[in-house]
Amino acid sequence: MSESTLFLVTFIFYFLAAFFYFSYFFSKKENLAKTGFSIAFIGLLLHTAALIMRTVESGHAPFTNMYESLSFLAWSAILAYVIIEWKFKIRKAGALFMLVVIAIMALASSPLMPKEATPLVPALQSYWLWLHVSVTLLGEAFFALAFVTSIMYLVADSKEKKGKAKKTGISSEKLDSISYRCIAIGFPLFTLGGLVFGMIWAYYAWGSYWSWDPKEVWSLITWFVFALYLHTRIVMGWKGRRSAYIAVLGFLAALFTYFGVNYLLAGLHSYA
Amino acid sequence: MKSLIKFFSSVKLAIVLLIIITCASILGTLIPQQRSAAEYAVRYGQLAGLLIRLQFTNLYHSWWYNGLLFLFSLNIIICTLNRLSPKFKRVFQPRLRFETKNINSLKIREKFRKNWNLARTREELGREFSARHYRLKEEKKEARSFLLARKKTLGLFGSDIVHLGLLIILAGGIISGLGGFKADLTLFEGQVLPVPKADFQVRLDKFETEFYPDGRVRDWKSTLTVLENEKPQLSKIVEVNHPLAYQGFAFYQSGYGWDWESPSLEIWVKKRKDPSFLRKLEFKVGQRVSLGDDDIQLIALHFLPDFIINDKNEITSRSNEPNNPAAFIEGWQDEQRIFSGWIFAKFPDFARIHSEKEMDLTLELRDFKSSQFSVIQASKDPGVNIIWIGCGFLMLGLALAFYWPIREVKVILEESHGKTEVTAGGIASKNRDAFQSEFEKIMTSLRRSK
Ligand code: HEM
Repeated sequence: MSESTLFLVTFIFYFLAAFFYFSYFFSKKENLAKTGFSIAFIGLLLHTAALIMRTVESGHAPFTNMYESLSFLAWSAILAYVIIEWKFKIRKAGALFMLVVIAIMALASSPLMPKEATPLVPALQSYWLWLHVSVTLLGEAFFALAFVTSIMYLVADSKEKKGKAKKTGISSEKLDSISYRCIAIGFPLFTLGGLVFGMIWAYYAWGSYWSWDPKEVWSLITWFVFALYLHTRIVMGWKGRRSAYIAVLGFLAALFTYFGVNYLLAGLHSYA
Repeated sequence: MKSLIKFFSSVKLAIVLLIIITCASILGTLIPQQRSAAEYAVRYGQLAGLLIRLQFTNLYHSWWYNGLLFLFSLNIIICTLNRLSPKFKRVFQPRLRFETKNINSLKIREKFRKNWNLARTREELGREFSARHYRLKEEKKEARSFLLARKKTLGLFGSDIVHLGLLIILAGGIISGLGGFKADLTLFEGQVLPVPKADFQVRLDKFETEFYPDGRVRDWKSTLTVLENEKPQLSKIVEVNHPLAYQGFAFYQSGYGWDWESPSLEIWVKKRKDPSFLRKLEFKVGQRVSLGDDDIQLIALHFLPDFIINDKNEITSRSNEPNNPAAFIEGWQDEQRIFSGWIFAKFPDFARIHSEKEMDLTLELRDFKSSQFSVIQASKDPGVNIIWIGCGFLMLGLALAFYWPIREVKVILEESHGKTEVTAGGIASKNRDAFQSEFEKIMTSLRRSK
């Protein structure tokens, strides 16, 4: 099986997982969510195989163009989900989160994204590429999960306020705490991958660890937003709605760092 | 003074500063930085002058942005120091005589009576705690014993270590900014250049470009030798991502180019009417060569690597890459110019030769050679190691703050009539569920032990 077929099969598995999660969302039958989880897990394994194949075929890290990088982001997102689901059982979030993953996969497979593996330009030939990109994207995957749980929190909270909450759902309080836990995992990862490894690599490749390049600045902005989240929460005791808004904002900043900067602002980072 | 300290120890100030710095940073990415005044005038019209005066066009190096960072640092320092002494006190001189109501207000707590005397209960409890790596502090008073069991106390300082790391990074940035410098060295093979602000030289031994089979660049490699008093000290192949480090200096592969001033050209001269006529001439730009017969002499006056006629109808080179190499040739006979014009290496049929008379000669630019140079960036950055140390603290602090949360259990043992009343409560700011189950395990196993 070729890498592109494997990618397609993975995509189908994610679709099926989303289908089961949505059925669960509406019918509340536990078994449907369990099936969805198993399918997503198999999807993750297939996706892993596809990434390994890509790496072996191209001879370099599987995130050097937008298609590869999106595929890796989707993989990180599923990995993050599997970890969080296994720890906290957030089945209700599955449906919404699968939608996010499917959107990323769809973007990756769109004809706008060139799929062929091209040889690496000199600046990318470094093992720091592996460390910098994989750890950063993994961190961002956790931010994505925090985003989804925060949105669900906002919905659940307004339902609870109106007294319309169903007993079966996750309580808004639990969603709030899961959202925090995701950020507690994502923040150190993002700091390590995005800022620390980024600075080290920039030092070796460009001769200075920080150049105020737009992508660097936007990583910093993302980081500041999550620092804001942590301090308002830990020191000032903010919780709930206000925390959720900051988490949403933080993810949007991360999203802009990832996409927006490449397409809207020019800079040193323009090749990846 | 006191109110100033109070002002700077406030987390609200931190949040305000964080928001302002974030918004300013966003602006800095939307306004292109460090361009010419003319470009801003085109882009922003009337506003341009104001933007430049307020340093929005060089925002990250402006006094006010750096002033904000300075205030932010001050905020971190004072806020962190302010909270440090209560933390030290909590760790090294904890109050052990807590009140029962103190424990009763905790969310995680338990109370039961054990059929043992105090000493035995204390021993068993101690064993349970140390099996789970808790350290104990104890105080006795009459028939009561106060126990404080703790572990992962270092986690309490996670945030302080994060803040310390940040300060070190900011300090490193200042040192880099003040003491660092960069210079581009343009070196031809064999050339030796002194390194600015250093007492050694570098020599380029070799420069080569490697290509992938499809013609894309795989790598640029410069073999550099460091010389001190003309004695070679060290040689290394410098390529992108692999700088050479020497005495606090780093040398990067930063660019390359060709000396297009005096390339050597290979030109083939043919005659339309005489196919057997062929002269292969090799000469440098600026040199005059004789064709051999008819007393015709050729001279190449200009060479452009990337010929283009721009929109002002001027002939120039679009880039320094040899994408469309062209040479301007003149032909002379009897001190008279008989023809002149451009010939193109990639378009041999498209010569633009002007000639007074009917001309039988055709000229082809077959090849051109020019010496290539490598641009090596020499830089000295005295702050960089400080930055790495700061990053180390930052990551260590994050790990401690998020994954090494302090665990504390307060216990009061009170003996009456040979039995002991156990009142215990646990404090956990993070990951409370895991802590609660550990707490319950300890208490259950004490309750059940015979
Ligand atoms: C971008 C800059 C900053 C970063 C990345 C940062 C990071 C952190 C982190 C990771 C924590 C630990 C959070 C936790 O335990 O979950 C923390 C706690 C804290 N930070 Fe910051 N911080 C920053 C700036 C500041 C500033 C300027 C102040 C000054 C007012 C401040 C005050 C605090 C306080 C009071 C705590 C609670 C610490 C405790 O008592 O344990 N932080 N910070």
